[in-house]
Amino acid sequence: MAPKGTDTTWDHEFNLLRRQDLFRNPPTDHTAYPALQAAVDPHIQSFNALFPEGGRKGLIDHGLAEIGTKTYLDPEKNRLTVRCKNVMLQKSQVPPSNKFAKNREILPAECRERHATYRGKLMATFEYRINSGDPVEFVRELGQLPIMVKSNRCHLQNNSPALLVKRKEESEELGGYFIVNGIEKIIRLLLVNRRNFPLAINRPSFTNRGPSYTPYGIILRSVRPDETSQTNVLHYLNDGNVTFRFSWRKNEYLVPVMMILKALVETNDREIFEGLVGPPNSKGIENTFLTDRVELLLRTYKVYGLYSKTQTRAYLGEKFRIVMGVPDTMSNYEVGTEFLRKIVLVHLGCVNVTEEQDTDKFKMLLFMMRKLYALAAGDCAVDNPDAVQNQEILLGGFLYAQILKERMDDLLSYNLKEALRDYFFRNNTTTFISEQFAKDFPIKIFRRTNENLGNTLEYFLSTGNLVSASGLDLQQTSGFTVVAEKLNFLRFISHFRAVHRGSFFAQLKTTTVRKLLPESWGFLCPVHTPDGSPCGLLNHLAHKCKIMTQPVDATQIPRLAVELGAVDISSAATDESVVVMLDGKIIGWCTPAESQKLAETFRHWKVQGNQGVPKELEIGLVPPSNGGSYPGIYMSSSASRMVRPVKYLPTSTEDYVGPLEQPYMSIACTEPEVVPGESSHVEFDPTHILSILANMTPFSDFNQSPRNMYQCQMGKQTMGTPATALRHRTDNKMYRLQTGQTPIVRSPLHNAYGFDNFPNGMNAVVAVISYTGYDMDDAMIINKSAHERGFGWGTIYKTKKISLKDDARTKATKNVQKMFGFAPGAPIKAAARATLDDDGLPHVGTKITEGDTLCAWHTVSADYSGQLINRDGITHFEKYKESEECWVDEVRVIGSENGNEVAQTISIKLRIPRQPIIGDKFSSRHGQKGVCSQKWPATDMPFSESGIQPDVIINPHAFPSRMTIGMFVESLAGKAGSLHGLAQDSTPFRFDEENTAGDYFGHQLMKAGYNYHGNEPMYSGITGEEFNCDIYIGVVYYQRLRHMVNDKYQVRTTGPVVPTTGQPIKGRKKGGGIRVGEMERDALLAHGTAFLLQDRLLNCSDYSRSWICRSCGSFLSVQPTVSPFIGKRKAVTAVRCRNCAKRLDQIEDLDLMKVDGEIWEDGQGQQWIGGDDTTTVVVPGALKFLDVELAAMGVKLKYRLDPKDAVRRGPLRHKQLDGVRMEKSALAPMSGGMITVA
Amino acid sequence: MSREAYQVPSTSGGAYTGSGAPGARDLSLSEGPLMQYICSDCAVKMSLRKNDPIRCKECGGRVLYKERTKRMVQFEAR
Repeated sequence: MAPKGTDTTWDHEFNLLRRQDLFRNPPTDHTAYPALQAAVDPHIQSFNALFPEGGRKGLIDHGLAEIGTKTYLDPEKNRLTVRCKNVMLQKSQVPPSNKFAKNREILPAECRERHATYRGKLMATFEYRINSGDPVEFVRELGQLPIMVKSNRCHLQNNSPALLVKRKEESEELGGYFIVNGIEKIIRLLLVNRRNFPLAINRPSFTNRGPSYTPYGIILRSVRPDETSQTNVLHYLNDGNVTFRFSWRKNEYLVPVMMILKALVETNDREIFEGLVGPPNSKGIENTFLTDRVELLLRTYKVYGLYSKTQTRAYLGEKFRIVMGVPDTMSNYEVGTEFLRKIVLVHLGCVNVTEEQDTDKFKMLLFMMRKLYALAAGDCAVDNPDAVQNQEILLGGFLYAQILKERMDDLLSYNLKEALRDYFFRNNTTTFISEQFAKDFPIKIFRRTNENLGNTLEYFLSTGNLVSASGLDLQQTSGFTVVAEKLNFLRFISHFRAVHRGSFFAQLKTTTVRKLLPESWGFLCPVHTPDGSPCGLLNHLAHKCKIMTQPVDATQIPRLAVELGAVDISSAATDESVVVMLDGKIIGWCTPAESQKLAETFRHWKVQGNQGVPKELEIGLVPPSNGGSYPGIYMSSSASRMVRPVKYLPTSTEDYVGPLEQPYMSIACTEPEVVPGESSHVEFDPTHILSILANMTPFSDFNQSPRNMYQCQMGKQTMGTPATALRHRTDNKMYRLQTGQTPIVRSPLHNAYGFDNFPNGMNAVVAVISYTGYDMDDAMIINKSAHERGFGWGTIYKTKKISLKDDARTKATKNVQKMFGFAPGAPIKAAARATLDDDGLPHVGTKITEGDTLCAWHTVSADYSGQLINRDGITHFEKYKESEECWVDEVRVIGSENGNEVAQTISIKLRIPRQPIIGDKFSSRHGQKGVCSQKWPATDMPFSESGIQPDVIINPHAFPSRMTIGMFVESLAGKAGSLHGLAQDSTPFRFDEENTAGDYFGHQLMKAGYNYHGNEPMYSGITGEEFNCDIYIGVVYYQRLRHMVNDKYQVRTTGPVVPTTGQPIKGRKKGGGIRVGEMERDALLAHGTAFLLQDRLLNCSDYSRSWICRSCGSFLSVQPTVSPFIGKRKAVTAVRCRNCAKRLDQIEDLDLMKVDGEIWEDGQGQQWIGGDDTTTVVVPGALKFLDVELAAMGVKLKYRLDPKDAVRRGPLRHKQLDGVRMEKSALAPMSGGMITVA
Repeated sequence: MSREAYQVPSTSGGAYTGSGAPGARDLSLSEGPLMQYICSDCAVKMSLRKNDPIRCKECGGRVLYKERTKRMVQFEAR
């Protein structure tokens, strides 16, 4: 029928039949929404880079090459060298011990349903040789590694939508995440410093490194081919010296840069001087600032007395021998070489480093020093590490590869070392050459190493914590992964486009990192960032921004640069020569004028694509300026860069620009803004700067910008359609909107991203009118009939996993101890039978209320024949604890991977219907949220002349201060669209002052016979009278937000209390109270509502009646009397003060006849007299707690209970004392610590 | 008796290597009610007892769904 395959172009129309067909007959060739897949591709492709297909070298292969061979010695000095040859990852399969499975594949859907991890077997081939014997190979399994869905190790790769549906996925399954314990996890994209680019930094904390350190430094994040990085820093010292800093396994080291320079190549002071300053006839010589400092640099280095390369390397090797952890057999020189290989500018060579590569490193180091001196002299500006210009993205797959590589390195160097040491400790007669060792090494010894790499990565994914000895050159150790919540589809897709600055910056007091910078234009969305604590740190990629996942071919570039006039000789004067750099390697120097030409030529070739210049190459031409950024041409072809498409004007074709080059280019925003002779590019569309979500806001250019930000937040909190494969999902909590519609007003991107597959709201007739008063303060009234027709109806699905196994992590108990079902033989209670079936699991479809049983189980133990029998006859029940009633939607019985286990785990999906009720939250797509305040009967709703009633009424006061004009326009467009049966294109930046949106849609309305302005005369639903003014009424797309009163309401009269104070506990879940805080108290005070105040703060809180002694004023000394004749049951009536009482046996000359008062007895049988001046008072429990606490510290509180001690109210009384004239102020009553007797 | 007679091993004969000794098998068969489940993979219906391992008799699928109850499910519709 369609020989060309599925159409992938979309416009803004409804495309009803086309969508219907796509839904009913999922395409068998490819997806109809390629844009959606492209949004997730960076994740998938970065994972694919680990184990690429087609014979290319993967990141792991590069990593293994960098790890190299490890050498060990036995007590007899035999030499064992071992290396890992390759690592393979299998697709997910059932273990061979499962003899039953017909289909050996484990698909992602099964992992979700079984709450398992989607992983495949990781295997490594090791090779070892003893002394100079033949190499021996063996294979070890390294555990099960979690696999990214839709990657090249996933069964779903390149599946057609039809096949995906068959495999219980979405027809548009995106992949890009991992499944860990049934939960979908994403590795966050992180912003890190741009690789292989020397950043000029002014950081005051640099001065803390030691005396004479200045804030100036050059940071270069050097990235190896395996995507691991090593940051090198040059520090500028007061006297003009430069030190080289790096950190290695979380420790920092400082080395004089001269030592590195001399170790890299055989050189002399003149070469270094000329390399920094320039040849004698150049202008660089005139720079006395530079020459002075370079002279000092060379002079001060003389104290080391190291001249040749060999000497210097040996010196470095001696110093870093322990740090590098090299075997004893290595000479100092070799250790020095190893040091340079592993630490210094690793991007220029980190495996089998050639002399040429060392020369590159030398040149690069000189360039960095030159830039540092320029920075110190003020000739060059600092680079902003917070600007996208100097950043790139750390992709999830690359981080995964880094962790894998480091664990592999640890395995071979540290774990194996320990295992060998342990082995020789046990078998001290064996050596490497013994046969026993050859037998033991691949199995016994390796088993003792911590070789389960799969577990390490599963832990990483499930917690997001990085356990690493080196820290991987990152600034954080946690928060690397997030759950890809499928709350609705917008939220899900946003997770893949989110870019985080790093959790380190979240704690930073300064807000500079959060600023929206112009450099971000087109790369990060200016609108789509949350407000609150992650504001500006969690950004989202603009929807056209692409992340490179593999390096582009730039092999021709050096040749072309040389042909265009790049030379080897350079000078420190930037008006004389500027650098030409490719991926952190200096390929030549040229004059500034030449550089301009060179960049332009390259640009032209790159767009034409005929000279071997790839289109995604970034040509960052930094022109010379007066004190600006350090000039040069900085080209990069590497992965992890952001690029975005713009139109190249000379050829009118697509070009990709990167963030480094963009600030120095003239890219017109729209065609009319093109400046002839200056602009080289023009944007394809101004909406390209917006993220996917921000593009979904209709007419966002009419709104005040914060409202668009709010909408980006609320779009992600909407109750929508999270997935279409709901039946096969087991998310802990999932929201679903029953009555989703496609918006009438939408942009073409809505279709291109296939959002109609996941509707997110409803079109509602909205009247802007102040009616009944129930729409005050952002409340909204819903038409009760609209509600009854299904407006906003939703469902919550909750999945409860009930496992009878103790803990999944501890595999200590393999045998079954508990089983589902009723204990055989024992009677079954009728109450349990109401919800449970014969197998002890709930009936599917039954209604569950609070306290109902969800499942039954009993204990079992094996009898003489291994048969599992129950001995105690007790049936245990799992109960449903939540207060809301729900229905059992699905019950899954989960078997083990091996297929031979009885039921140990079940997963119950519960359905909670949630029709909209008063207090639920709704919002339009313009950051206009409101709470439903009434469901107003349709009969009493206002109606228009054509008899239309609004579904929703909102208050006009919602608009003046918020200025969401976009909502008015949407209302107009929606009204016109529904009248004409049109889908309205709501792309921002389509209207201007001449052609206004109001006019465009106004005329459409007029054509339909409506008022041009969207106002209509309306009639009161109650009186039937026409309103005095016309009402603005139209159709607006409404979202129902997931915040619902049923999850929020909190009421309490009595309930659980904190034991120490007696005050109510915190938290809605536990039945706690809401705090009446200081400000609330102030309000009550100000209103003079003393009784209410007492009720809140005392009676409903820690009201406690307690005994106190009037005479000594203490809570702590009173005690109840104990009668020796009456049993314990008798309630105590008399309470006496032990402090004021006297013990009978301690009174001298006791005459019982003369004793005044009652004799009482305490618990020990002691008899006392007196202390009967006690009473009960009402005090806050917290006061008694305070009293006890103070008593524990030796502070006594005395409470005055006498009425005469009370604060007297009324006018001052002047009392003349005999013979004494007192000051008036002394008569003021004492205050504090007084309690009036109740 | 026909029970003692030779029986042709069925395709799902692997199932009989389940838990316990062969002698105890008969005992377990009689224990517990026979419940219907549906395989998540091939949608085949099967009956299992309490002591049976959880897997599909046909395809070895490892997730089984419980059937919707045959009981009348009626609620007050409001």
